[in-house]
Amino acid sequence: MSADDPMLTSHQRRGADLPPVVVYEEVRKLFGDFVALDGVSIQVNQGEVMCLIGPSGSGKSTLLRCTNALEVVSSGRVIFEGKPLPSNETEARKIRQRMGMVFQNFELFPHKSTLDNVAIGPITVLGMKEGDARARAMKLLDKVGLTDKAGSFPSSLSGGQQQRVAIARALAMEPDVMLFDEPTSALDPETIGEVLNVMKQLAEEGMTMIVVTHEMTFARRVANWVVVFDHGKVVEQGPPEQIFDAPTCDRTRDFLGHLGWNG
Amino acid sequence: MELDFSPLLDSWGYLLGGLGITVLLAVLTVLCSIVLGMALSIGRIYGSAWLRIPIVFYIDTQRAIPVFVVLVWIYFAVPILTGWNFHPFWAALVALTLNASAYAAEIVRAGIESIRPGQVRAGLALGMSRAQIVRQVLLPQALVRMLPSFGSLLTHTIKDTAIAAVIAVPELMKRAETVVGQSYRPIEVFTTIMFVYFIILYPGSRLIERLYQRVAHLGRS
Repeated sequence: MSADDPMLTSHQRRGADLPPVVVYEEVRKLFGDFVALDGVSIQVNQGEVMCLIGPSGSGKSTLLRCTNALEVVSSGRVIFEGKPLPSNETEARKIRQRMGMVFQNFELFPHKSTLDNVAIGPITVLGMKEGDARARAMKLLDKVGLTDKAGSFPSSLSGGQQQRVAIARALAMEPDVMLFDEPTSALDPETIGEVLNVMKQLAEEGMTMIVVTHEMTFARRVANWVVVFDHGKVVEQGPPEQIFDAPTCDRTRDFLGHLGWNG
Repeated sequence: MELDFSPLLDSWGYLLGGLGITVLLAVLTVLCSIVLGMALSIGRIYGSAWLRIPIVFYIDTQRAIPVFVVLVWIYFAVPILTGWNFHPFWAALVALTLNASAYAAEIVRAGIESIRPGQVRAGLALGMSRAQIVRQVLLPQALVRMLPSFGSLLTHTIKDTAIAAVIAVPELMKRAETVVGQSYRPIEVFTTIMFVYFIILYPGSRLIERLYQRVAHLGRS
C-alpha cells in the first residue's frame, strides 16, 4: 500500500478494513509509585504510521517499550497480531524478532563494522548463514544510502549515518512493525533530514510504524494517525489534520503552542 | 668499592632461563585468572543468590589475604591436609591464580557494568537471548575497556612471581639469589635484576597503553 492509495479517503483510517497489528487495552505501567502509563487504549493498523507526541515524561517511550516486552505492563494487555504478549522470556524473544526497534542513541554495537551491525540479527537470532546475512545487510545499507560505509566502524560515522545503520539493522530482521523511540532527538539539525527521509520512504512502502517524536513537521506530513500523551494518558488522538489544524483538546493546543507550532 | 659484574656474565644463561620461567608463570597466571575471573564475574552479575554469595565471599577473602600467605599455605599446608604434593611451579601458579582471579573478576565486572543499558536493550530488541547479549555485545566491548586494567594486572603478576622464590620455583629472583650465594655480589646481581624487571615492565605498560588507544573506539558505545 502506498501513501497515495486511491482507496484511502480522509474519513477512513488507514488499514481500518484489516485486523490491527497492535492493540493496547487499558495499559497501565507503574515504576514504584510513579504512574508512567495510566490506562492507555489505542490501536495501530496495518500499514499505518502512528506518531506518539506529547511532553517529555508523558509515557510515550514507555508505551513503545511495552510494545515489544522490554517493559512488562503492570495491568492491561498489549495484543500483537491478535495474541496477547507472552509473559515468558523465550516467547517474548520470538515476538521481538518481528518488531524492529530504533533508539534515540542509535545503540549500534561499537565493536562491529557497519555491515556486521546489520547482519548480527539474522546471523545470531535467525541462524542465517553469514554470507546470506551479509548480502541482506548490504541491500539494506544500499536502501539507507550507506554502502560505502559497510566496512566502517560506528565511531567514524556521523549521528545521522549511525541512525540510518540502526534502521537497517532493525529492518534486517524483516519485522512486521517498526518502533522508533525519538529517532532524531540526539542528532545535529543538519543530519535529522536524512533520517526522516529514510523513515518517510519506509512509510511509503507500507511499513507499519509507531514513532515517538518531537518532529511535528514529520508527524504532520507522514503520520496517518497521531496520539497525544500527557501524564501517562491519551488526551487526544486522530488524523494529523485534526491534531495539528483543529485540535479538540486544550492540552493538545497548549502542547503544540509551547512548541511554537502554528501549522 | 669495586664493582664486579663477571658473575652475571658467567651465569647469564642460567638467569635468562629464570626470566623465562618468570614470564611463563606470569602469563599462565594472567590467562587462568582472566578465564576464572570472567566466570566469577558473570556468576556474580547474573547468578542466583546461591551462586553470588559464595563468589562475593571468595573475591573479598582473596583480596584480604596476602598472596604470599596463600602461596606458603598451598605449598606447605595443603600437602599435610590432603596428602597431595605440589610441584613448586604448580603451587605458585595455583596461588597466584587464586589471588589474581579475584582482581580479574572485579575488573570484568566493572567492564560489563560500565556498558550502558541501551546496548542490552538493543540486543533484546533484535530478539537475542541474555547469553547471546553477554557473549556478542557486552563481553567484546568490556574486554576492550578492560585492557588497561588487565595490563596492570599483568604487571602486578610479573612482580608477584618473585615471591615464588620462597618455595624454590627457579624463576628469575630465585636464580639471582643462587648467583649471589655463590658470588657474594648482591649489589651487582640484584641491581641488574631490578633493571631487568624494569626494562620488561615499563615498555610493556607503554605498549598496552598504545594498543588501548588504538582499539578504544571498539568499546565506546
